[in-house]
Amino acid sequence: MNHFPEAWGRPRDDVYGAYNSSYLQTSGPKTHTSSPAVTGTSVIGVKFNGGVVLATDNLASYGSLARFTDVKRLRSFGDKAVVGFGGDVSDMQYIDRLLESIDIRENYSTHGNMLNAKNLHTYLAKVFYKRRSEFNPLWNHVLVAGFDGEGEPFLSSADLLGTTFSAPHLATGFGAHLAVPILRRVFPDEKPIEEISRDQAVAALKDCLKVLFYRDARSLDKYSIAVITKEGIDLKENEQLEGQSWAFAERIKGYGAQTN
Amino acid sequence: MDKLVAQYSRPQHQNDFYSEAEQQELTEGMPPLSLKFALPPVDNRAAFLRAMTDDHANPSCPIKIAHGTTTLAFRFQGGIIVCTDSRATAGNWIASQTVKKVIPVSRLSRGEDKPSNEPTPGLLGTMAGGAADCQYWLRYLSQQCTLHEIRHKRRITVAAASKILANLTYSYKGYGLSMGTMLAGVTPQEGPALYYIDSDGTRLPGNMFCVGSGQTFAYGVLDANYKYDLTEQEALDLGRRAILAAMHRDAYSGGFINCYHVKEEGWVHHGFDDMNPIFWKTKLDRGEFSNVTSEL
Amino acid sequence: MTSLLDHSRGETVGYSFSQSTAAPVRQHGFYPYTDNGGSTLGITGSDFAILAGDTRSTSGYNINSRMVPKVFKIGGEDETGEGAHIILSVVGFAADGNALKERLDAVVKMYKYQHGKSMSVSACAQRLSTILYGKRFFPYYVHAILAGLDEEGKGALYSYDPVGSYEREQCRAAGAAASLIMPFLDNQVNFKNQYIPGSGEGHALEQKKAEPLPQETVKQLVRDAFTSAVERHIEVGDHLQVMIITSNGIEEVFHPLKKD
Repeated sequence: MNHFPEAWGRPRDDVYGAYNSSYLQTSGPKTHTSSPAVTGTSVIGVKFNGGVVLATDNLASYGSLARFTDVKRLRSFGDKAVVGFGGDVSDMQYIDRLLESIDIRENYSTHGNMLNAKNLHTYLAKVFYKRRSEFNPLWNHVLVAGFDGEGEPFLSSADLLGTTFSAPHLATGFGAHLAVPILRRVFPDEKPIEEISRDQAVAALKDCLKVLFYRDARSLDKYSIAVITKEGIDLKENEQLEGQSWAFAERIKGYGAQTN
Repeated sequence: MDKLVAQYSRPQHQNDFYSEAEQQELTEGMPPLSLKFALPPVDNRAAFLRAMTDDHANPSCPIKIAHGTTTLAFRFQGGIIVCTDSRATAGNWIASQTVKKVIPVSRLSRGEDKPSNEPTPGLLGTMAGGAADCQYWLRYLSQQCTLHEIRHKRRITVAAASKILANLTYSYKGYGLSMGTMLAGVTPQEGPALYYIDSDGTRLPGNMFCVGSGQTFAYGVLDANYKYDLTEQEALDLGRRAILAAMHRDAYSGGFINCYHVKEEGWVHHGFDDMNPIFWKTKLDRGEFSNVTSEL
Repeated sequence: MTSLLDHSRGETVGYSFSQSTAAPVRQHGFYPYTDNGGSTLGITGSDFAILAGDTRSTSGYNINSRMVPKVFKIGGEDETGEGAHIILSVVGFAADGNALKERLDAVVKMYKYQHGKSMSVSACAQRLSTILYGKRFFPYYVHAILAGLDEEGKGALYSYDPVGSYEREQCRAAGAAASLIMPFLDNQVNFKNQYIPGSGEGHALEQKKAEPLPQETVKQLVRDAFTSAVERHIEVGDHLQVMIITSNGIEEVFHPLKKD
């Protein structure tokens, strides 16, 4: 006991060593042993009347290097659901193998693969949470799209910490900053998803991808887009962004060597 | 070598889910009595825990644990008086003003909520330091005491009970538990007995203890006025007055004054009273705290 | 021979002074927690208990979703929570909150199957405390509030700190806006610092005694508390989820809150 009563009953430096704030590190350079190396950027998704659309670009970056330009980051699970991956690509491939083995196992059972997107999302969220609790995270932020048990369109997110949430439109990574505001403007909360058509949803996602390509330095104009409806999954993996206009770029001033 | 081969030939992707056993563990009916605690898989667990929870070293730490504050107990001719404040703080935030810091430790006193003027047999424990640590381990102790009663057909002595707790805290030394507790009881073998146990593993018998950040203020009042021959009323008043002094001078103490008297037949509760009217009464009627102005 | 072995243990060859190897090994920069914001609040009356929470989920300055409920039914028969008699709210790190909720739910269900009767609220309260304490050294980053009806049919409310210290109370606010709501509740529910007019002069003025409030008053207090919190806290808003537990069961209602 010393003469600082507010410290009493709390860990003492002479017993426990100095307070080590490195565990709290949230900003500045990160020093993970398990840091992501090859990464994918945003995943965006929207629900519409009778289904869900999900899109990502086809880029896997290595730091600031656009390293692999034809990496498919949308993976379908059976014919029921699609998972869009952001974050570490090796962990994505690991999860993909995981999902594949489940799909195979389920298909060997008498009833076939009955797992829907909601079940898949629950499973993924638990895997993420378990791995974060072991301090060995899977460095991803995923969107799961498909249908729930009632046959309603389903779109939900899960990240490396196991955090989950769902909304009519979602985006991960840079998309959370750039795409979500666009989607919220085009499809305001008051507008029920029954009033959104498939074409509107697809068009909105393409717009978002374009804005992301304009402003996200880790993105690409080649993308994948998946439309999940009752009829099945329509997955296109080699799309090219159309109607780009870089006229706005001339007005951007004040960066780098260009001073005025 | 086989191990190495096994490690790399194992299909990495086969099962990354909770095993049957792990799932069962999560839903088992009984809590883990055998002290199975989830530990963070890092090298220095105590440092990790401290980084997350020590609101004194780092006021903006993410998890703020409720801390307890001024508690006292002393022996006198009529038994033992136990008094506490009722404030719990998490950082600068007052998490609660109504904490019950005196915890009955005995099978027979389980119905602690039922109002009764009859003495309740059993021991009393106090909490200072981490509120959860004290609550949990006194509950654990209570369980051990009950088992003792069943096995030996007599109530456990305060010495034995305090030793269970001290052994326990000693075995967790360095893990970051934080508790300073007193055990009080009257048993046929010992008479009135009072022990101090803390999270370092200390266990001390004694006549008078004050524990918590307000302890010095309480000691000041007790030392000045304590006599072994105090009457019951005098002893209760002294206990209250000491807590009041600590509440006044220590920011981490406050709320209500909780008072217990432990005698041969058991313990009796003597009120859970708001400090504010008591403070003004003490000042206006007895002329104490004259440094405080009474103008409104 | 021995000297060779010794060298490999850090004593550097060629120096007459001992080299400090005290630089701490920093193994993990991975930070396993996040704060998803939001606030919860519980108040009891003579024959009911109310638990409420906003439905916003945030990470940093981003709003993840506007519809992520924080109040859950515990021990119900199916996914909808039908037949539950206990409600739980969790605020803080949502993934931990979810894990905690599911664990408590499983425990309450197992209790029912093993004992052939529902778990009492006081038993459930203590069990929740042990669950939280089981993670004492790697805490659940949540503030939980549990509510139900006690053996006499009175409203019961238990509040918890992250490592399981708990207390039965009349009212409690938790989460981001706890410091905004709790003082309001102290004044309006427990009548703190309210005096009876004309009961005396100066220090003799009498404190107003707290007594259980009628359901309508409490509902209004809950809504007032949240509409006010929304005005002053960025992490609170979107919708207010209110669950009222009475002898007739659990009633759940949603009210709109401001969405800015």
